[in-house]
Amino acid sequence: MNKLLFVLLFLILIYPVAGYCENTLPTENADVEIVQTEVLPYNFESTYSVPVKLGIIEPISTKDTLTEGQVIKFKVLQDTYCKRKTILKKDQIITGKIETVITSGMNGFPAEIILGDFEIPNIENSKLLDNYTKKGQNRCFWVYPLKWSLTLIPFVGSLTNLIMGGHAKIKTTDVITIYYFPDWK
Amino acid sequence: MKKILAIFLLMFTPMACEAVQEKDLNLEEINAVQTRIDNVGTNILNNNKITRRIVFTYDKRTKKKKLTTDKALTKRQIIIYDGLYNSVQTDDELAALLSREISTVIKSYDGVWGGTIDSIQVALSSKKFETAADKRAVDFMVNTGYNPLALIVYINKTCPQKRFDKFSRHNLTSKRLARIYEYITYKYPQYLENNEYINNKYYQNFLLTSIENRKKLEEKIRYKSYEELKYE
Repeated sequence: MNKLLFVLLFLILIYPVAGYCENTLPTENADVEIVQTEVLPYNFESTYSVPVKLGIIEPISTKDTLTEGQVIKFKVLQDTYCKRKTILKKDQIITGKIETVITSGMNGFPAEIILGDFEIPNIENSKLLDNYTKKGQNRCFWVYPLKWSLTLIPFVGSLTNLIMGGHAKIKTTDVITIYYFPDWK
Repeated sequence: MKKILAIFLLMFTPMACEAVQEKDLNLEEINAVQTRIDNVGTNILNNNKITRRIVFTYDKRTKKKKLTTDKALTKRQIIIYDGLYNSVQTDDELAALLSREISTVIKSYDGVWGGTIDSIQVALSSKKFETAADKRAVDFMVNTGYNPLALIVYINKTCPQKRFDKFSRHNLTSKRLARIYEYITYKYPQYLENNEYINNKYYQNFLLTSIENRKKLEEKIRYKSYEELKYE
């Protein structure tokens, strides 16, 4: 009887382990994927980058009518070199797009313009880190404390809803820096 | 006593083994889902050259517990609950779900105090950022090679339609869908010209339920207006 009990206990202990091994350990035929063999369309290994400084030709603001996808012209602010070769000359014109426009909101939430999709001659877009965001004045810092202090007087706190955030403006004096990674795929 | 013990052991041995096997099967299923989410999510991050760290976690629970912080804003961790994942049929739809979350997480990195202020703003003023996040999601999908109409299909399938949104932190789903459709119409018209979703029943359902809003958009295009449309 003791033997039978011993065998049963042994089976209980060993079976889950065996089951676990069966389900998780690779068999001879199973592929063990350590490194993915798929060739990726990008390679971000290189850290070498060239900053490209740009200025907008015509100022834009969320006050005006801006459309997403609208093409914007920029000029290069200084000669840009990559590995001793000139890639961009000062005052050269390049284009970019307005990616997204976030309008200003109640309680001081600022407007926002996101630029991207810059097109530089002879440079693939996949080699550019080219997102630029400009925000308007963030008035939440003082609007929210004001709102909470006015909440003591019924309905008065809601009046701060009327305070809008600042418009986002990109002026001709603003320097927009995007990065060119020549060794990226 | 020994006999009773022996019978007891005999009864429970197979059940214990089955439970272990079932657990292993569940683990395999979870692993497969997690791998799919990681694959599509990382594709979006890399193809959009998003230089911020974001992780994806699959959770078997159907939805987020109430009164818990949004981990997308605090930990930059996108949690895909089973309730949301259940409606995902294609990789395009999964990309839609993930792109939407990624655009929210990116916002939490901007601004002062490590993005704390911006995260609070996103949480407080969700309606405004909801629209912005939807638009960014479309961009992310296009840049990765997914069809942005899947975002319309996915939202149409999963987000319920409330009565009003005046006092809510979220837009009416019909408004969100109309704004996404408008965004695609202006920025990526090629997806509507060669519409792969034209025979998709969920997309057709969106077309059916958005006739009034699409009429407004057609008027806007006809008169070359720049006014922001008031969708219903």
